[in-house]
Amino acid sequence: MNNKINLYLIEFAINSLLRQKLKNSFILIIFTFLTFLISSVFFVSNSIKHELNTTLKTLPDITIQKLKAGRHHNINTEIVDDLINIAGVEDAVARVWGFYFFENAGVNFSIIGIDEFENQYKDSINKITKENDFSKLLDSSSMIVGEGVKKILDENYYKEYFNFIKPDGTFKRVNLAGVFKSSLNLEANDTILMPKELAQEIFQLEEDKATDIVVKVANPEEILTIASKIKLMYPDSRVITNKDLEISYQNIFDYKSGLFLSLFVISLFTFFIIVYDKISGLSSEEKKEIGILKALGWKIEDVLKEKFYESFIISFLGFVFGLLSALTFVYIFNAPLLSNIFTGYSQLKTDFSLPFIMDFNTIFLVFFITVPVYIAATIIPSWRASTIETDKVLR
Amino acid sequence: MIQLKNLTKVFEINKNNKVTAIKDVNLNIKKGELVVLKGSSGSGKSTILSLLAGLSKPTTGEVIINNDRVSKLPDNFAALFRREKIGFIFQKYNLIPTLSVRENILMPLIPDNPSNEKVETLLNSVMKRFKIEHKKEAMVKNLSGGEQQRVAIARSQVNNPNIIVADEPTANLDKDLSLHFIDILKELKNENKTIVVATHDPLFFELDFVDRVIEVRNGELV
Repeated sequence: MNNKINLYLIEFAINSLLRQKLKNSFILIIFTFLTFLISSVFFVSNSIKHELNTTLKTLPDITIQKLKAGRHHNINTEIVDDLINIAGVEDAVARVWGFYFFENAGVNFSIIGIDEFENQYKDSINKITKENDFSKLLDSSSMIVGEGVKKILDENYYKEYFNFIKPDGTFKRVNLAGVFKSSLNLEANDTILMPKELAQEIFQLEEDKATDIVVKVANPEEILTIASKIKLMYPDSRVITNKDLEISYQNIFDYKSGLFLSLFVISLFTFFIIVYDKISGLSSEEKKEIGILKALGWKIEDVLKEKFYESFIISFLGFVFGLLSALTFVYIFNAPLLSNIFTGYSQLKTDFSLPFIMDFNTIFLVFFITVPVYIAATIIPSWRASTIETDKVLR
Repeated sequence: MIQLKNLTKVFEINKNNKVTAIKDVNLNIKKGELVVLKGSSGSGKSTILSLLAGLSKPTTGEVIINNDRVSKLPDNFAALFRREKIGFIFQKYNLIPTLSVRENILMPLIPDNPSNEKVETLLNSVMKRFKIEHKKEAMVKNLSGGEQQRVAIARSQVNNPNIIVADEPTANLDKDLSLHFIDILKELKNENKTIVVATHDPLFFELDFVDRVIEVRNGELV
């Protein structure tokens, strides 16, 4: 028995594909497009899920908001000392933060006020605080911004400073002292960090007021108990645990995943229509060719091997082209249209890039739901035709 | 060498409709013999050739070639038998029109995965012999009827089989090309090949090198 790869059989398979250029080009294009669509959906979904999971890890243990008339209101910072005295509470920080809508660019910036003597509730902010002297920033009325903000400011000719419009209509000029990078694109790209006092001035918050208070709990098992205690102490407040936030983030993600799932199902459905069409039978020409090959002494396994090569070449090429197109589309062009489904409010956010997540499980999954299915869809009807009596096929 | 024993083939069109193509055919053909089966269309000539070449199985009876019970061979062994022993020349040539002459002639060799040298030697030899080497790379669909038949003959001979089966080989040829085919047949006969031709072309009936002309009528040998 000859175990060498039969190059003549491969050559025959390639010639066979080239003989029906138009039909096979069409299949290759459809296959490439479907692989591209399925892979893109997976890539975008994976990247955003990664971003979301990383964001969830940075959420504060407990967030306390003041409610007035059922709406979020500024909270009194005096209660911070009482909170720290609750057994199990490691730290409590009054946060000054909010959104600023920059009308010229049509985007929202997130402003976070920093007190360099306080422990920051996020490691990423802690790191930035250590690298920058916020008391100097206060003296010089300056801020440091995320890369997305810097890009927007540059585009609008604010190279060195920015004029914030305060709620009373007056301007506050804040100088640009630096740009920071963060591992979290979705979260940090639109962020502006500035001394807490400056943020209070821009939002016109009184000195003893904050947007909310975040509480760090030493033992994660005690978060719920401590949250209940705080609720008892301040019944007019809303106490949100990190689990609550996680659920609401996850709900939004799951809802949007549903949209992606629809796209995915449509792609797969189209693919299976092609597969069904292929599996439902061969043309009389194709059957006759199999008959000729068998009459010339080809065994059933020879015919099937040739059909395997044909279908593998076309489906694997389609898979590779589709995968490369998806990688380019998602990670180089940032998945226009597709990523907007997830980020949703793109008009109000600064640009962000999808983080590159190479998940081999996804690649294998896309491979296994496309290539072997197509190969089977080609081989099964060929097998059926090659088991028919040769004489009958040729007649 | 070739024995057809009580051969009957019934085609089942549907459950209630069966056609007996040949009935109780008995025939012995010796090595090196050239036998012509004559008869009108639908008489059963092609069915006899098809059974002889192992392209179909008889309903009853058997085909024995060199002590091999060809009609009992499983499909894959029958394919192997055809590849090694039989050169089939079909009425409509059964070439693949969009492949080149070279690729068409190569087809019977492919499953054996022979070396390049062997392939080139065999291809060049048959193409030269049947005067088609100048069209080596031409698409078969662009060839004339006579050239297509030479390709079909070259393909049937590339494995150097001992038995040649030709089904209405001159049906699509004019008189000159038919006479040319008869010359080729004579050459093959001189090489001591066993040849069975099914035809209703009168040109074959008076040839001096034909050993026997047997008439097939309504599925029976007359």
